[in-house]
Amino acid sequence: MMAADNLEQVLQSVDNPARLFRNNDLGWQPYVFQPEYTNWIEEQRAVRESVAVVDQSYHMEILRIEGPEAVDLLESLSVNSFEKVRSGDPPRAINYLTCNPDGYVIGDVIVFYLGENTFTSVGSEWINNWIRYNGEVGDYDADLEIAYHPFDDRDPPDFRIQVQGPDALKVMETVVDGSLPEIPFFNMDTIEINGTETFALSHGMAAMPGLEIFGPYEQHDAVLDDIFAAGEEYGIRQLGTKAYKTGKIGSGWFVSAVPAIYEHEDLLGYREWLGADSMEANLSIGGTYDSDDITDYYMTPMEQGKTNIITFDHDFVGREALEGMIDQQERQRVTLVWNSEDVIDVYASLFREGETNQFIHLPDVATRWSAMHYDTVLKDAEEVGLSKYPGYLYYKREMLSLATVDTEYSEPGTEVTFLWGDQTAKRGVDRNEQTEIRATVAEAPYVKGGRRDP
Amino acid sequence: MTTESLEELLQSVEDPIELFRNNDLADNQYVFPDEYTNWIEEQRAIRESCAIVDQSYHMQTLEIAGPAAIDLLAGIAVNDFTKFRTDGPPQAINLLMCNHDGYVIGDNICFQLGQNELYAVGSRLENNWIRYNAEISDLEVTTTVLDGPFEDGDPTNFRFQIQGPHALDVMDAVVDGGLPDIGFFQMDELEIGGVPTHALGHGMAAMPGLEIFGPFEHHDAVYEAIRQAGEPYGLRRMGAKAYKTGKIGSGWFVFAVPAIYEGEETKGYREWLPADSAAGVLSIGGSYEPDAITDYYMEPAERGQAHLIDFDHDFIGKTALEERIDNQQRERVTYVWNSEDVVDVYASLFRDGDTDKFIPIPDTATQWSKIHYDSVHKDGEVVGFSKYPGYLYYEREMLSLGTIDVAHSDPGTEVTFLWGENTEKRGVERHRTRELRATVAPAPYVQGGRRSM
Repeated sequence: MMAADNLEQVLQSVDNPARLFRNNDLGWQPYVFQPEYTNWIEEQRAVRESVAVVDQSYHMEILRIEGPEAVDLLESLSVNSFEKVRSGDPPRAINYLTCNPDGYVIGDVIVFYLGENTFTSVGSEWINNWIRYNGEVGDYDADLEIAYHPFDDRDPPDFRIQVQGPDALKVMETVVDGSLPEIPFFNMDTIEINGTETFALSHGMAAMPGLEIFGPYEQHDAVLDDIFAAGEEYGIRQLGTKAYKTGKIGSGWFVSAVPAIYEHEDLLGYREWLGADSMEANLSIGGTYDSDDITDYYMTPMEQGKTNIITFDHDFVGREALEGMIDQQERQRVTLVWNSEDVIDVYASLFREGETNQFIHLPDVATRWSAMHYDTVLKDAEEVGLSKYPGYLYYKREMLSLATVDTEYSEPGTEVTFLWGDQTAKRGVDRNEQTEIRATVAEAPYVKGGRRDP
Repeated sequence: MTTESLEELLQSVEDPIELFRNNDLADNQYVFPDEYTNWIEEQRAIRESCAIVDQSYHMQTLEIAGPAAIDLLAGIAVNDFTKFRTDGPPQAINLLMCNHDGYVIGDNICFQLGQNELYAVGSRLENNWIRYNAEISDLEVTTTVLDGPFEDGDPTNFRFQIQGPHALDVMDAVVDGGLPDIGFFQMDELEIGGVPTHALGHGMAAMPGLEIFGPFEHHDAVYEAIRQAGEPYGLRRMGAKAYKTGKIGSGWFVFAVPAIYEGEETKGYREWLPADSAAGVLSIGGSYEPDAITDYYMEPAERGQAHLIDFDHDFIGKTALEERIDNQQRERVTYVWNSEDVVDVYASLFRDGDTDKFIPIPDTATQWSKIHYDSVHKDGEVVGFSKYPGYLYYEREMLSLGTIDVAHSDPGTEVTFLWGENTEKRGVERHRTRELRATVAPAPYVQGGRRSM
């Protein structure tokens, strides 16, 4: 048999893509920074109690989209409104969400509008791939260029640093030339640091104020040093991957779900365009949910809690389907609060004879052995939802996961269970006995309060 | 410009104990990932199938060469060098060096690969002592740091350990002409795909195993050959978690505070050592708070290394060791942690109020200090210390290696130890210190399986 050279050929060569992906080990690890810089508990606490810094310069792909029709290309693929961009507003950031023709999510990133027909899309490669493909097959007057990829052997074009926590703005006030402007949540402004023009996006984690700043990479070390110096009196901590990744659970953002690209006939060309070595062809799905139908892993924008960003003021891939689905959502985004006795008993299994339960890595539980995690949520032995992104938050003293459940079970306080213990052939998973863990439904975002402008 | 010496650093501080206990870990030489696949499966491979460790990068190699190379080491090490002098290369010994009072400075593995060609492989804490003694001696010997985790460039040799019940089957498949019989701590020369390779009989977790090394340019080819031969047996590559915890069950004290911080006889060494050397940036973790730095020192006998001492030659510390060897106060033991107490430390993460010191499983204490010491108690008295805590899946237990007063060293003795530390390390989260129960057990704790000791 000839080796596959595109995604479509990979899919044709296997009986069942869902089964392939569930047994794939994680083949890439974009998180190039350390699990802990000092101590994950202190790093998590800093986000809620003082100030924390994350160096995001290296782990995301940056796609630059430039040209008179760049906005048309981006708009045609996304649920978001580009009206403000078109009306010549100042630079802004968009939580850019793309769907397939059936209205299922391909992925979301942050797209920065930098002015003058110039955008950067910063995040996962599978959204950028979709934009690039459509840029290539469409007839747009727009140039697309990957300015940086986490596996590149070159410096990124920008430093990108998040400063978060109750003291974050005090620290940034010291760091910026002049005084820090008021920037409402998810709005952008420009600031100067040591005379260098720097973009600042208001963007907190754990419901705390925060800024994401980016500017020329040559200033990376100097800016980071300034932030550490200004943050010292507040007890600033640099977040390692454990504290950084778990910060997303409480804010309700579904980091990644299986992109809805594997079966739709309109996307055949895209699947042929994607290489056999692409991330899309090498997905690793973890957890107990074991549907053999790949479309069962897809998610709608509504169940990801993104209904508010869908606007029907323009044409886009998936619009028709979403117009039909938007008011008939069957599942809701929720947070599951794990039963602590059950979690502790998973630890206790390490000290008993017989099969152990799958080890729960604290605090970042499931990102080591798969790219996307799906556990089966049960109510009265019926499957009623999917539990994703498990992690422990010290400032909550709880194990949490972000989930979607059938609307009738989405009421806070509802008791459910979920299955714990991946039973696939992944080498990254310890042989284990599957167990049922109790959980209580709670709201998403779970972590509240403190941010000045939600 | 003058570089500050360790001696100057010690003179400048009121209390070196306080300095070292509050130091964060500055030099983590473990350059490989925590897990290659999954630490539980990597631990299981050592006991159930076979495991490979790539040791090429994390240790320092010191070459000791010249007609008096053996004489130099014989003068500073407790070991018997007869087989180096009479049998000739290749040979290996567990080189153990003490200060003039008979307290341990450190140990490593010393290979004799040519008549006057020795290689000490381990950490800088011991190699620096060898280098210093070579420099101040009149002997015809030179020392050269060939490579190490803090040196630039590739290492001289690839170095792999292959361990587990199927380790020898795998090696038999990759060695040209098949694997000869190699006893524990014996050496032989092999060829792997034509690559000249040295092999040392050396298992972990009481399982058969080999450490092999040869020219680094063949690193990838030799690794690949072993990986392929190991596939039918379920070979796993060990990450730092499985690798480091493997030492607890075999009873080897990886590090203790080197016995170099006081005393006239080692003053010259302290003046020779820079303040930013490994001994100057020491980070000591754990609850043990002794009155004097010497309380951290260990004797060969309480480390279970009395059998290495050869009193038929002169060496630093000989007189002191002769006086004490038959009158040891403390003994090496394994502490088996009470599992209810360990689980309760986890449970504290789900309660309000101060939490207990988090127990990273399986490798518990190497993230935040170089050398761990918890104080062990019996009836309210400090009776020993507990070191190198870790969890072993194949024992289903949290264990630590320690020493205890001989009066309490009987297996089955119930003790407690203090878990947590009151220091300013940024690597340690705020927590409350508490007592954990433990039961005394023999060391080495993991028994059986190795074909020859």
